[in-house]
Amino acid sequence: MTQDTNDGAAFPPGPKPGERHATFFDDPLQDHLLRAVITLAGELSVTRERLDSLEAQLAQQGTLDRAALDRRLPDSEQSQAREAARQKLLTRLLEPLVARLSEAGTNDGKDG
Amino acid sequence: MKGAFGFQPDHDEAARQAFVGSLKKFVNFDLEGRLGGVLAAEAAKAGAEPEDRTQAAALLEPHPLYRLWASLTFHSQNMMWDAVQDTTDRTIAEQVETFRALAQADDRKGSVEIAPELVVKAPVATTEIHRQPGGYWRERRPDDVEAALNYAGTIDLYRRAKGMSTAGPPQPDAIGRFVASVAQRYAPDLEPRAVLDMGCGTGEETLAYKRIWPEAQVTGIDCARPFIRFAHANAEAAGLEAHFAEMDAGATRFADASFDLIVSIIMFHETTRAQVRDILGECWRLLRPGGLVLHLDVPYQPHRMPLVKQVTNHWQVRHNGEPFWTGFAELDMAEELLRAGFDAETRFARYEQSGPATYFFFGGRKPQ
Repeated sequence: MTQDTNDGAAFPPGPKPGERHATFFDDPLQDHLLRAVITLAGELSVTRERLDSLEAQLAQQGTLDRAALDRRLPDSEQSQAREAARQKLLTRLLEPLVARLSEAGTNDGKDG
Repeated sequence: MKGAFGFQPDHDEAARQAFVGSLKKFVNFDLEGRLGGVLAAEAAKAGAEPEDRTQAAALLEPHPLYRLWASLTFHSQNMMWDAVQDTTDRTIAEQVETFRALAQADDRKGSVEIAPELVVKAPVATTEIHRQPGGYWRERRPDDVEAALNYAGTIDLYRRAKGMSTAGPPQPDAIGRFVASVAQRYAPDLEPRAVLDMGCGTGEETLAYKRIWPEAQVTGIDCARPFIRFAHANAEAAGLEAHFAEMDAGATRFADASFDLIVSIIMFHETTRAQVRDILGECWRLLRPGGLVLHLDVPYQPHRMPLVKQVTNHWQVRHNGEPFWTGFAELDMAEELLRAGFDAETRFARYEQSGPATYFFFGGRKPQ
């Protein structure tokens, strides 16, 4: 990252970068795989909402208007329905793990 | 240009940011809510109740559910900054142009003042607060507002994560309005003519004071340049007169007795013990006789927090860029106020409720 302007003056660099890759399980692979699954679920959620908006646009207008689709934001009712769908997705994804680990003792950490 | 300034995600960016908010909500409630049960079970197994945070942490930290909580909390913070950065990267050039246009407009109402030298101090100088990449004060281009845009992008997301509202956004200056209502209750005789908002950040809340007291001169200060620029453009876009300056709240450039209302919102927990003393001393110096100082911050004093919450809060200190969170909570603010010059009769340090949220308020008045 350069911190020089065209005329050579330096920009304020900000603090030193913080940690980005901390892990908390005994095997860091568990953290990374868990996070990969969550990130993927996020992208699935984005795609579902895109599809929902696209279908609504096609139903209303009969044609695709990509710029209008990019500007489209959910109304209050849609927002609540989408929030409920996201919580349902997250619950299905994580609840079995949370329930299993809630019952586990500290000695079970390595297979958690 | 009205309305064209600010954080403006497109459809997919907004959806991605909303997912991170939902994930944080799941982790904060569904997952974190079970850590209390885990702590109780571990204490029963050990045959001894933990007496303080350190003992509770020793029981909780090895547990796999706690590790899951930590791993997901950490990841959700990375995802959050990545998600808002997409919007900022797409819009930053246009936002900087809009800032310049508003700051140079002939009909501008307020002002913006950038200090000749940086005024930022540790921990903000040395730590990426909330692990925001680049922290509050990194600049990468002339007239940069990037840090403030990214921060602004997380505000709605955090509201979602705290389960505060999913049905329509609350007013962007809702907390400022709440602070103003508390000021009116604490000092019903006070009609402020000059208001100072310390650590004003994006300046959204600062505007509440101008809306409520339109005749008052309203000033916001912050130690981070990108935020001061953002706050100015935001006020101009809203058509309100407010003045913003890059200043250290512990060593301002204002004359004695310049203000009759001095406020801040969640600033103090991002300072240090030494800065708390400097800032309270400065508040006393800047306050006019009859004036009110009123600061809002997090209500995380240990005596009112369950041990499990003390452990998770302390995790935020170590892993999520909250270096003074615990230090702030452990300060005796009533005592600090006395030390700064406030008197025992008028100083206060107490809790106020706004809907489901509790806030810590501290300050005092200067006798006439």
